[in-house]
Amino acid sequence: MTMFLKNRRFVLASAVAGGLVFPISASAATLNVMQTEAPRSMDPGDQTATYTAALLDPMYEGLLKRDPDLSLKPALATEWSSDAAGLVWTFKLRPGVKFHDGTPFDADVVVKNFARHLDTKRGLAASGRLRTFLEGVTAVDPMTVQFKLKSQYPAFLALLTTGPCLMVSPAAETAGTIGSKAVGTGPYKLAEYKSGEYVLQTKNGEWWGGAPKGEDEIKWTWTPEPSVMNMALQTGDADVVNPFPAAFAQQLKANPDMTLSTTDGSAVFWVSLNTKMKPLDDVRVRQALNYATDREGIVKAFMQGFAKPANSPLAPVTPGYDKSLAPYSYDVEKAKQLLKEAGYPDGFSMSTIVQEQESRIGELLQAMWAKAGVKLDVRKMEGGVWSKAAFLDPAGKEKDGIGSSIASWSSGVNGADLQFRPLYYSKSASPAGANLGFFSDPKLDELIDKAASTLDEKARNAIYVDAQKLVNEQAPHVLLFTKQDLFATRASVKGTWVIPGGLIVVKEARK
Amino acid sequence: MKAYIAKKLLALPLILIGVSLLVFVAIRALPGDPARLMAGPEATQEAVDNMTRRLGLDRSLPEQYASFAYGAVRGDLGISIKSKLPVIDEIAERLPFTLGLAITAYLLAVGIGVPAGMIAAIYRHGWPDQVVMILAIAGASIANFWLALMAMNTFSVQLGWLPLLGASSWKSFILPSVTLAVLPTAVIARMTRSSMIEVMSQDYIRTAYAKGVAPQTIYWSHALRNALIPIITIVGLNFGSLVGGAVVTESVFNWPGIGRFLVDAVRYRDYPVIQGVTLVAVTGVVVMNLLAELLIAVLNPKIRFD
Repeated sequence: MTMFLKNRRFVLASAVAGGLVFPISASAATLNVMQTEAPRSMDPGDQTATYTAALLDPMYEGLLKRDPDLSLKPALATEWSSDAAGLVWTFKLRPGVKFHDGTPFDADVVVKNFARHLDTKRGLAASGRLRTFLEGVTAVDPMTVQFKLKSQYPAFLALLTTGPCLMVSPAAETAGTIGSKAVGTGPYKLAEYKSGEYVLQTKNGEWWGGAPKGEDEIKWTWTPEPSVMNMALQTGDADVVNPFPAAFAQQLKANPDMTLSTTDGSAVFWVSLNTKMKPLDDVRVRQALNYATDREGIVKAFMQGFAKPANSPLAPVTPGYDKSLAPYSYDVEKAKQLLKEAGYPDGFSMSTIVQEQESRIGELLQAMWAKAGVKLDVRKMEGGVWSKAAFLDPAGKEKDGIGSSIASWSSGVNGADLQFRPLYYSKSASPAGANLGFFSDPKLDELIDKAASTLDEKARNAIYVDAQKLVNEQAPHVLLFTKQDLFATRASVKGTWVIPGGLIVVKEARK
Repeated sequence: MKAYIAKKLLALPLILIGVSLLVFVAIRALPGDPARLMAGPEATQEAVDNMTRRLGLDRSLPEQYASFAYGAVRGDLGISIKSKLPVIDEIAERLPFTLGLAITAYLLAVGIGVPAGMIAAIYRHGWPDQVVMILAIAGASIANFWLALMAMNTFSVQLGWLPLLGASSWKSFILPSVTLAVLPTAVIARMTRSSMIEVMSQDYIRTAYAKGVAPQTIYWSHALRNALIPIITIVGLNFGSLVGGAVVTESVFNWPGIGRFLVDAVRYRDYPVIQGVTLVAVTGVVVMNLLAELLIAVLNPKIRFD
């Protein structure tokens, strides 16, 4: 009993102490950025979430970086070259760079950073992409590193700007604190991470690039509630809101105090059809569902017009995208006819699983497909439950009667391989990957592999056009739309831009 | 009485063991895999397996529970899967904010609910009674979530009087605590009314009137004191639903308390956090119920504990 009283005293004492310490209030020199979700880690290599990547962007750098025009530019590497086969890449490192904790940046640091992803014991969240093509990294001299690739990989340089390739301080990594305390080389450093409230970043006075151009501080907060995001922008609690909820976008456009930015995004929304289940194993049935889908209607009703109807498995911003493709018009008669040919003149019943925030898509499809005689059972699920169900193997989906899954995929501007391989490659069939409908076509596998090892851009894109046509024709997905990236700022904020897919860059923004 | 308190306190560890077991099993029975959620959609099965091992979720359930329970006894609730920080520190940082909110809301609820219920009882069937009861029914039926959004839009966005989000000054307490207080205020007002009406029909009240005691004295000392027992019982029992309300309110207002923490934890299946927060909340509810019982004994010496 004395134990208990002691504990209670402790709780009360901390209640009093905690009540007095209020967080630092925002000043004029603080840029307030609000996003939809909390950061998943302070370690860029241990997360794959766009909004976490955006938050970490001011603090970390890779060997290369992206400019606002999306071209690749030198960052921690000053120059690079490859052998003729594209398998061995040599990078000269930038001299005089220091991490926020004082650790100098050199070849040894780069080797350690990649070694932690190649170590199969570690299980860092972002290692997967690298391990498919990276053989190893070695130091040639203190300021030169060499990458050996298992096979040619066209998106290699682009990937060097992303999460697993951003340099973390080896000292913080060894100490095991990098997941909660960011230490990079970027123009901003971590001042405070209150996991329940905010992340505060301050200027790094010793940045190699000179004085950082943005505001003195950047403060990140988050809420999952769209109306709260909208209100926070109105009151000025947030200077930047990313992504801005489409439901409030028209209203915001009319307000001269705010600026809405809409650019082509990279997230493609689709319904993955279970190709191992009857009657969806019949390509005519899958095509019928595509004809029965009014994409324009979904864009209007679900995205308030801030999206483009999908005509390809790739987003318009992805290299290799072919805008001339026009596979499926909205044609209920054609859908009915295809179903009749497939032996279902009276239609059939199937189910789909969808996360709560996207459940409206399921309802819209239910109404559209009903006109072609398809009865769609829409199962709304909370995120974690959905992800468990979506990644079931064929037997599991058969048992639970899961005929399709509504989801989206975004590979940014990092190459078509990152869209085709996880979604349509036969070896990516779930649970191994995100080929949720177990689509398997040897010809497509061959095209994907061939494109991935074709270094000539023109030749590679030609192969991707064939791959897009094949996916459209075989219809493993009902492709729905490509979302635009929406973000909003107070009108005075200048210098924010977004990498397609929603990764907002605020490190040079002024308000 | 001392023996009774000791007995109740001794039961607390048993309750906590029971609840922790229940929560432990229930969250693992939920579909959804923390390793898959942490590793992200593009993770390979190998990466998910590695993550499972890193999180210690490959161990058998009894083993996992034993290590959780052993830690919890020593004040170590494990490491949050998502933030990688010790759960006990995370809770200690947030608990004051939730306690502050809950206490303010409770003071408001009692301070408004009890007088409102008394007025309704005194003017039974009159217009004050009808106004109070209409408000009470509205307050008990309104969705906390919707009310919070409406209040934010009115007082922060349109009028600009109060801060919208977070906990940056004393003004920040107003909107969330008022929102949170609405439901308990309504419940307390209705309970006070019916309890008062019952007491007011007792013989000793009639006797008091007959011997010329001032009505104010009758209401406050004779009637209210006797009517308080069911009210306190309700106040004590309602602490649980207040905690439930805090989960919603904190999420909407970006309030850095344990309620919002719990919502985020459930989304990522952050098992150690869900377990830790639940234990703390249950301790709070048990303690509040015990306090209510003790208060009743103080108010009414006829009640005996064995």
